[in-house]
Amino acid sequence: MNDELQQQLIQDLLIESFEGLEQFDQLLLDLEKGNSDGETLNKIFRVIHTIKGTSGCIGLTKIEKVAHVGENLLSLVRDGELKVSSDRISALLTLSDALREMLTSLEQNGNEGTADYEPLKARLQALQYSEGQESESLQASSEAVGSPSDSKEKSEDSVANEGNEAFGLFDSEPVSPPESEKAIMPSSPPEAAGKERASKASVSESVVRVGVDQLDKLMNLVGELVLARNQILQHTNQIEDTTVVNASQRLNLITTELQERVMKTRMQPVGNIWSKFPRIVRDLASDLGKQVELVMDGQETELDRTIIEAIKDPLTHIIRNAVDHGLEAPEARVVEGKPGKGLLMLRAFHEGGQVNIEITDDGGGIHIERVKQKAIKNGLISSEQAQRMSDREACNLIFSPGFSTAERVTNVSGRGVGMDVVKTNIEKIGGSVDVSTEPGRSTSFKIKIPLTLAIIPALIITSGRERFAIPQVNLVELVRLEGEQVRSGIETIYGAPVYRLRGDLLTLLYLNKELQLESCDADTVASSEVINIVVVQADGRQFGLVVDEVNDTEEIVVKPLGKQLKGLSFFAGATIMGDGRVALILDVLGLAQHAHVVSETRDAGLLEEEEMRANTSDLDDKQTLLLFNNGESSRLAIPLDMVARLEEIGKDKVERTGGQEVVQYRGQIMPLIRVSDYLSSSAGVDEASNDPLQVVVYSEHGRSVGLVVGAINDIVEETLTVRREVAQNGLLGSAVIQDRVTDLLDIKGIVNSADPSFYKDVVNA
Amino acid sequence: MSKTIITVDDAVTIRKMVTFTLQPTGHRILEAGDGVQAFEIIQKQPVDLILTDINMPNMDGIELTRQIRTLPAYGRTPIILLTTESEPNKKAQGKEAGASGWIVKPFQQDQLLALVSKVLQN
Repeated sequence: MNDELQQQLIQDLLIESFEGLEQFDQLLLDLEKGNSDGETLNKIFRVIHTIKGTSGCIGLTKIEKVAHVGENLLSLVRDGELKVSSDRISALLTLSDALREMLTSLEQNGNEGTADYEPLKARLQALQYSEGQESESLQASSEAVGSPSDSKEKSEDSVANEGNEAFGLFDSEPVSPPESEKAIMPSSPPEAAGKERASKASVSESVVRVGVDQLDKLMNLVGELVLARNQILQHTNQIEDTTVVNASQRLNLITTELQERVMKTRMQPVGNIWSKFPRIVRDLASDLGKQVELVMDGQETELDRTIIEAIKDPLTHIIRNAVDHGLEAPEARVVEGKPGKGLLMLRAFHEGGQVNIEITDDGGGIHIERVKQKAIKNGLISSEQAQRMSDREACNLIFSPGFSTAERVTNVSGRGVGMDVVKTNIEKIGGSVDVSTEPGRSTSFKIKIPLTLAIIPALIITSGRERFAIPQVNLVELVRLEGEQVRSGIETIYGAPVYRLRGDLLTLLYLNKELQLESCDADTVASSEVINIVVVQADGRQFGLVVDEVNDTEEIVVKPLGKQLKGLSFFAGATIMGDGRVALILDVLGLAQHAHVVSETRDAGLLEEEEMRANTSDLDDKQTLLLFNNGESSRLAIPLDMVARLEEIGKDKVERTGGQEVVQYRGQIMPLIRVSDYLSSSAGVDEASNDPLQVVVYSEHGRSVGLVVGAINDIVEETLTVRREVAQNGLLGSAVIQDRVTDLLDIKGIVNSADPSFYKDVVNA
Repeated sequence: MSKTIITVDDAVTIRKMVTFTLQPTGHRILEAGDGVQAFEIIQKQPVDLILTDINMPNMDGIELTRQIRTLPAYGRTPIILLTTESEPNKKAQGKEAGASGWIVKPFQQDQLLALVSKVLQN
């Protein structure tokens, strides 16, 4: 056999065998569960039988011998001479791992590897005898297939055997039909033979195997075609000739359809990766002494193969986690009044152009208090934040870098990656993940992922005379400021521009500044007639990108950046626009990280946990503080998390009721408290001379009060050490913040003395 | 004179190997993935030799042999079974069903060539 042929046959063998083994695992698990029919055992047998036969023919004797021992065992099981026991299933699963190992080695190194499979062979052989089996039936079975030692010898013989017994005819009668019969059944004329040979493949197979690289190339070409189509469409607007216009319309339709079709060829059912999960769950559950039933729904849901590959690891991780930490041990479940067998559900379905995958277990749920405690311990949140956090927010803390839910380190959860990496990997492909829990009842992970990555809808914007594409998945909304809003809409807090969007502060980034584009001076922006804000979302947080112009939405073809540009975190790729020019695709997350809009420590979860602890321990008592003053000499601070909002309230809005200054605020009557009235040191400072008034809104259980202060200065993050206790009303003490002595305002004290009913009512409510 | 041979096996690798081995002899080679497919094909076009695996989905080699022998046109067409060491009883079953000969998998290419030329010469 020549080398080329040998290589080709090995390729076929690899594809065929890997597919077969996957099916093999699945069928064995079905068998164990009892959902099998008469064909199941035959199919199981056939997989190993085929691998044995094929590998033998190509001269892969090591694979052949291992498969052979498995085949012997399987033929006894199939013929009903042996029972299906979980020992046998485990051994057969190990067999499938061993075969995979050799095949992988063959694929990667060109040989069957050096691992020793004698123990496995011995184990499989030993399992050919059922305990308590009568010697008679034992004999019968060894007659049928040869005793293990015999068959082994035989197989070794057969590999080397070139003797006449390898083939032959049953009797000496002429096997070829006599002349007279040949006339009835003429062989086809030679000239037809060539034609027929060409159509051979279509006769025998209706399915053609195509290499993935071929599909990738096709997809690339379709991408080019889409770009060319976009160019032509742009020009047809100016053309009168109806023939050209019609032709371009048809081109448009055909291109769209072609794009869909080619994309379809790249689609694979998500079940392709799920098929491994029953095995993983089974092994894991038996290691942990748990009972788990895995129910899968929607395996046929299709996704682009690159995405399927990308979600494989995150999904596996979530599933392992669910079995390890989510589901309880059988005894514990029974105590809770649940069936001993835990339920793990995997569901996939299409929704709104995206694929949803849900992983739900009926285990103990996530212990929200414990998560909060842990997050506080690891310095991810402050205890105040923890108190105010909703359950859902708290749940999602498990995705924070440096957070590990493992109470005890098991060999299952391991020390490898955390849930933060799961989240990062899913977000990398434009997806999102969310977790919700019902304490004591269930935990549910919901993953949303786009169908494909190659061609995506995007918003085209202009900044600094350059065009950029923002992927639609990152877009939240567009805000256009005109006229008066241009001048007053954008405020500055701590040197950072912000915009109030329906009551929430939205951090703004000037894209041209971030990218250091030519017309980047803020003056041009400030003096322009309109301001376009593209509200985008990254890492669950929103921020606004200020751009010069919002152009259009377009289907863009994502082209990877060259090697030299790969290091730039601002850009996710490039695309070619309808006019033939290149536009860069913005990586919103990278941009946000660069500008410190979102947490920078996203990848920190990859660090060793100890390292993380060391880094975060000094953050433990750090607080974010709002600095303000009441006149030039004083400097005051309050923890930012006590601040509901900062408002500017026009003097004319202030009304009076019962001797108290109030304003109408969000449908309520909000009392105003002048902070200076409660501070002896700043007495006499008239913050009321400000117009508008600077108001710090403090809320507790739906009630709000406005603290009128002189001016808001800054927001800082500081480790707070109270240096001087002060016995003064309205102050908690003093601390050095940014090298200056700063008084800490006692908000609760002030509010209480201004309106003693404020807290009482809260308690009563 | 060129003959038509069909190789029936659910393993693509084996089919290819048979095809590659026999193609240089100038015979026309057809392929089928199981007994059902093979049975359909041979009724559409006459075949001079059938090389079939035994263990296949849908219809196995023994049953295929039995079915082929019910067709008047194929009463004496040679049918060769690809057997394995582990299933010696299948050889006897195959003979009973009407098969003409056997070759044990794994086989050497020259073994296959020798057997095919012997069968086709007769």
